[in-house]
Amino acid sequence: MSSATLSQEHADSDLPPSEPWSNIAEETEAASFGMWLFLGTEVLFFGGLFLSYTIARFLYPQDFLEAARHTDIYLGATNTIVLLTSSLTMVVAVRGADLGARRLVWICLAATAALGALFLTIKGFEYWEDIREHLVPGRGFAVQGFGATLFFSLYWIMTSVHAVHLTVGVILIARLAWLMRSEPLRLPDLPVYGLYWHFVDTVWIFLFPLLYLAGRA
Amino acid sequence: MNGQRSQIRSLWVESGVAWVALIALLALNMALAFLPLNGLNVAANLFVAFVMAAISGLFLMGLRGDSALVRLVAIGSLFWLVVMFALTFTDYFTRPV
Repeated sequence: MSSATLSQEHADSDLPPSEPWSNIAEETEAASFGMWLFLGTEVLFFGGLFLSYTIARFLYPQDFLEAARHTDIYLGATNTIVLLTSSLTMVVAVRGADLGARRLVWICLAATAALGALFLTIKGFEYWEDIREHLVPGRGFAVQGFGATLFFSLYWIMTSVHAVHLTVGVILIARLAWLMRSEPLRLPDLPVYGLYWHFVDTVWIFLFPLLYLAGRA
Repeated sequence: MNGQRSQIRSLWVESGVAWVALIALLALNMALAFLPLNGLNVAANLFVAFVMAAISGLFLMGLRGDSALVRLVAIGSLFWLVVMFALTFTDYFTRPV
């Protein structure tokens, strides 16, 4: 890709606002408002899963601690660092767009998508290890106790639902970076992508201590 | 051009501070998980996670500079989350053993 395609050739700020907005600032706030409303539904969706975890752990505390020791804390911590770093590149992309730094925005979006893909790769490797160690509830499940079955059922559901959200984010951000090569960037769009990405990272911030750090003391 | 370059540098510095804080809190959370805290490990871990989420919300998601309406939506979703947890806990934690 030539640097010219990402330079001032496409002046992002010159684009007119979409209907019915009279200016870009108004449209940007409306877009963020809409995304926050959507994230509110996501908070309650993931909240239901966290609530199920809390109740199951309350009912079977020892089984949960025993089961949690079987998760791979090193891969979990590595993935947390990967996601937190992707949050850094995402926020620089969003704020870099306000400065008109097209090339920086493109690099940071590509880096965010790449870090998201790295997270999914590591998670896939971890799933493979979990399957080999018979940590899938059902026949041949390696950990004793009904609570352990509940823990690993929640582990698979919560991490896979999170991975689906992350996959959607990676695809959307990679698409945006691809489109940026030939089209002007719509300034109200980028903060919306940023909010979604940071939200998915924040969900992981809570998943990590509950699924990986429990039972280590 | 120099003006833009210095703005980009301060953008990296500001965002980098939030990133360093998040990584430091992650390290703290891992250390807390291995310390003998008489069963309070999960409370300590969740407290650190809430601080990390607050940093993410205020500094990365930009709630610090958002309008009152956007902040209201964010707080509203947390309010309904608290309602859901409170009503469920009222049931489970008061059942006779």
